[in-house]
Amino acid sequence: MARKILCVAEKPAIARAVATHMSGGSFQTHSIRGNQYVKNYEFEFNFGAPWGNCPVTMTSVIGHLTGLEFERQYKGWQSCPPGSLFEAPVKEEVDKDKLPIAENIRNQARYSKALFIWTDCDREGEHIGMEVRTQARNGNSGIEVRRARFSNTERTHVLRAAREPITLDELQANAVAARIELDLRIGAAFTRLQTLQLQAVAEILKEKVISYGSCQFPTLGFVVDRYLRVQNFKPETFWGIKVMLQREGKKVNFLWKRAHLFDRAAVIMMLERCLMAKQAKVTKVNQKPKSKWRPLPLTTVDLQMMGSRFLRLDSQTIMKVAEALYTKGFISYPRTETDQFDKAIDLRKLVEKQYPDSRWGVYARELIDGKFKTPRSGPHNDKAHPPIHPVSWVNPSQLNENEKKVYEFVTRRFLACCSDDAKGQGTDIEIQYGEEMFHANGLIVLERNYLDVYVYDKWESSQELPKFERGELFEPTEANIFEGKTTAPSYLTEPELIGLMDANGIGTDATMAEHIAKIKEREYVVVNKRGSGRTKVEELIPTRLGIALVEGYDNVVTGLPNSISLSKPFLRKEMELRMLEICAGSKTRQEVVQQSLDMYREVFIHTQRRIAMLKAACRKYLVEQASS
Amino acid sequence: MASAEQIATQIQNTKSLNVSISWLNTFLSTSNSAQRNLPTSALIKTALFRVLASDFRESLSKSPSSTLPVDIFDPNVQERRIQGPIPVQVLDIEDIGKSLWSQVEAIERVERGEAIRGREVVRTIAVGEENEGTENGNGRASNQSSTNASGGSGGSGPHRLILQDAAGNKTVAIEMQSVEGISLEKLSIGAKMVLQNATVARGMVLLNPGSVTLLGGKIDALDRPWREDRKKRLLERISSLQAR
Repeated sequence: MARKILCVAEKPAIARAVATHMSGGSFQTHSIRGNQYVKNYEFEFNFGAPWGNCPVTMTSVIGHLTGLEFERQYKGWQSCPPGSLFEAPVKEEVDKDKLPIAENIRNQARYSKALFIWTDCDREGEHIGMEVRTQARNGNSGIEVRRARFSNTERTHVLRAAREPITLDELQANAVAARIELDLRIGAAFTRLQTLQLQAVAEILKEKVISYGSCQFPTLGFVVDRYLRVQNFKPETFWGIKVMLQREGKKVNFLWKRAHLFDRAAVIMMLERCLMAKQAKVTKVNQKPKSKWRPLPLTTVDLQMMGSRFLRLDSQTIMKVAEALYTKGFISYPRTETDQFDKAIDLRKLVEKQYPDSRWGVYARELIDGKFKTPRSGPHNDKAHPPIHPVSWVNPSQLNENEKKVYEFVTRRFLACCSDDAKGQGTDIEIQYGEEMFHANGLIVLERNYLDVYVYDKWESSQELPKFERGELFEPTEANIFEGKTTAPSYLTEPELIGLMDANGIGTDATMAEHIAKIKEREYVVVNKRGSGRTKVEELIPTRLGIALVEGYDNVVTGLPNSISLSKPFLRKEMELRMLEICAGSKTRQEVVQQSLDMYREVFIHTQRRIAMLKAACRKYLVEQASS
Repeated sequence: MASAEQIATQIQNTKSLNVSISWLNTFLSTSNSAQRNLPTSALIKTALFRVLASDFRESLSKSPSSTLPVDIFDPNVQERRIQGPIPVQVLDIEDIGKSLWSQVEAIERVERGEAIRGREVVRTIAVGEENEGTENGNGRASNQSSTNASGGSGGSGPHRLILQDAAGNKTVAIEMQSVEGISLEKLSIGAKMVLQNATVARGMVLLNPGSVTLLGGKIDALDRPWREDRKKRLLERISSLQAR
């Protein structure tokens, strides 16, 4: 009887890392036929009861094994009306370049009593695990299937995962299958429709595929929306009152509670009434302890947002780098929504690992010597992965530039989480002058705490305020009108876009960076660099085509009751929510696919009927405006 | 059946409105028999409702003590007080705490259906919004920017109103302290209010909870076009500002 246990990871690097830990470093490497990246690693491992000591073959896939495609007769662009792609038969097939990998799994399964799946523990990983299981069962129908649950490739963690396997989560895999089918059908139907219809409109579209994706378009929508808001913006003048008092050799500026108003005559009248009152009265003197909270444990969205802000890397690069750091066993799995640490994690031990570092080693030691605080808990828990944190220390000389930056950020963030809030003393003074209220605030930072390690946050003492007594009267040194102008919002930046996608339910933390990269690649959006050095900003600007598509789709649904533009997030958000229902077991994959297709089919029909509007928008931006 | 005089006295006593007897007689003669047979209190209620929906210039009698000084707009007068009570109706209301453009954007959001629950679009988020709080405060930065949705500094107001008395005199009024019921959504054009002991500074009546009593009501013929054309008016004012 077969004694072997077959282990399959999602990527070759993970297979190698896991094999190294399980074998204690001594394993045999075998190449497989037809693929130069995937290797089989052979060694022995004691799994504990009930498996005991077994020979192991550790191998991997490279992402998904299979793809979903339309049947041959629907593949040609002109083969069928695009609308029929909502129902056309589809089939799941192993990708051509993955055939040797699938064969390797079937072959290995033949000599194995059990399959341990080591794909990443997230929805996609569950689905890939399912694909692996299918192949393994094709090779050996009686094979037992288990799943290793792990969130980093640190040694003890890996060994425990190997000895405490769980089962695959079919619901999550089904959610991915539903998403794949919806993306294929909706994407293909709209892409064919708009490409075929728009190619004739403008010369530059002639050879172009104008692709549609249900995440890409709302993502583009945000960029266009902001661009148009900037373009259409009209500055307006406003007026306000500022009051200044000179006391104890200090100038205290009081801010108007109304901030500013857009009516000059009213503001002048209000100032006059202040002056008529002559004296101002102190109505409130509040001394209170203030604190600046240490950050929450790090999620993927936060890593991408903060990373692109502080490290000046785009979100896709950050994810690639984080992925590499994870594969090498330096940080935990970088795709997570969780912003709370499980009580079972020994955080102090993780802090201790940072002792050797020349930059924050001393700080880490201080934490363990008494300053350690249990991290704050955020509201999210994806029940799969902990927040992103360093799992072992790495000498910076072993890392490349970008890896260094990301590792530093992840580590500083983690140490900050385990620190105390910054503490200070705040003073709020409120005065009434005539009928108007003004206030001045002061802050003295007393303990920096986490700020010492988390160099990305700033919290500075303000000028110290002189003494004020509640109820005291004083005559302000100056009271004047000031004038200002409203300013346009700025063009969207990548961190903001990620924040907007997150807030509006577009994409998952794992895919956001891909969608942004997609709309750049499709030439719907370009990146405009402004400024230099520390003030450098990368702004996302839509191309003419990008604007035309959004305006066109908005016009398609204008005036239709209850119809939603494809440039808006709702349809996709709805779809994402239904994915969660599959994961929770409250809806089946079939139900969700049907419901979501129905929603999009309705918009598709409107688009077909009112295609002239889409064409008109393209003509406006790509022909008329381009030539003017 | 109550007489016009009875109704007038009653409304004068409860609402400080000096309703014209001839207007009330017309009201009584045009009301149907069912209404005429109503108990007095109900009839008075109906009359009041009509008064609030009427144009004060037609429904109220004019006396110097119940109308605005004719030079009320004079910007040279630093401060004066009007005793009242002076009934007035609202001809216009504007939020001077928000830019015109942000109000246009807010109207467009509604036009796009984004005011419908579940269809809101979050357009602005504070990247790296700092977690700052007082000891017991809950200062967690939130990405849900409900304040940004209104496009202004949150809240609303103060408001600038144009008011008209029974004689047709108009005046500007400024909401110096927030008055319950004065907002673009809640206050209709043609709504009625009574000014009492109000300060007038540089030609502007200063409104606060003590100087004004809101009676409600609206003039349909004014309110509907005012709302329909609001965006157009805002845009016109913006372009006249830019032209300057």
